[in-house]
Amino acid sequence: MIDTLIRKLSIADELTEGDHETLRRVSVRGRQVPARQDLTTEGDRPENVHLVLSGFVCRYKILPKGHRHITALMVPGDFCDLHVAILDEMDHSIATLTPCTVVEIPRSTIRDLTENHPRIAHALWWATLVDEAVLREWLVGLAGREAAERMAHLFCELLLRLSVVGLAEKDGYALPLTQIDLADMLGMTPVHVNRTLQHLRSEDLIVLKKRRLEILDIARLKAFCDFDPTYLHHTPRTKNLNHHQHKLQISAS
Amino acid sequence: MPHFFFDTDDGDFRHEDDEGFELPSIDAARIEALDALPEMARNKFQDRDRRTYSVRVRDENGTAVYSASLALVGEWHIPHAISP
Repeated sequence: MIDTLIRKLSIADELTEGDHETLRRVSVRGRQVPARQDLTTEGDRPENVHLVLSGFVCRYKILPKGHRHITALMVPGDFCDLHVAILDEMDHSIATLTPCTVVEIPRSTIRDLTENHPRIAHALWWATLVDEAVLREWLVGLAGREAAERMAHLFCELLLRLSVVGLAEKDGYALPLTQIDLADMLGMTPVHVNRTLQHLRSEDLIVLKKRRLEILDIARLKAFCDFDPTYLHHTPRTKNLNHHQHKLQISAS
Repeated sequence: MPHFFFDTDDGDFRHEDDEGFELPSIDAARIEALDALPEMARNKFQDRDRRTYSVRVRDENGTAVYSASLALVGEWHIPHAISP
């Protein structure tokens, strides 16, 4: 289970066996957290960074009238709050959506990783930049995509993010979120989420049943919402560069 | 908490809700129903001058307890080919 972190960070960099060992050491003590529980609350000054090993976690804010808006979804292998190592007071809250296994990593450990393990530091930086890119994509979705496309886009994104850590099959994955959770992350009313799910189903794109999302035709689903996976940055710059250099070498010889 | 179902219709796609969700009261269900209507209209490509969006709330037993609709009406004031 701990290897989810290694699998995820290995996208960013060629980690060595030593790096793997270091990552295993920092993420050994997972604790079980029930669904719908705050890991940190707005206003806290947390001492630990949270890493998800199983389940779904969200980042959210509560608006003055009591409405919750979810600004990020964290899946296994994701850090919830790397910024805690640097920033002081929490400007938002983090909660489990499903039963989860979470590791608490002291800020001092994160500082040690970034100062003494350059490849891991690079990978953590990559993870933070990807989180920002995902947020950007969600913002664009809220501002510019229609409900059905926005929802389809989230389903495509999760397919790739869960595949990386071995939690998706090629035609679907476990999605134990409620319609209210989906509504709060898609900026939709629950009634419209319900209707939109049914609409996507009537188009033979997806079926969400018994907490599993089945993607009936991934190519059509991607085309439907104009999904471009670039923002997930699953092809690291270093590998691209190697590929490019490799091509140059071939063409030179 | 009581469970409610929300059937919706925009004239092209009619959805009979067989899942629904829990809400604290029937008044909360009314608000959810009314909130959904402008959202349905906003997410629809407006290809007609007349379209009615409707929602019906059913309780746990399937009995309709509330319904609401939103009519979107466009009208020309100059000579123009009749819109659909």
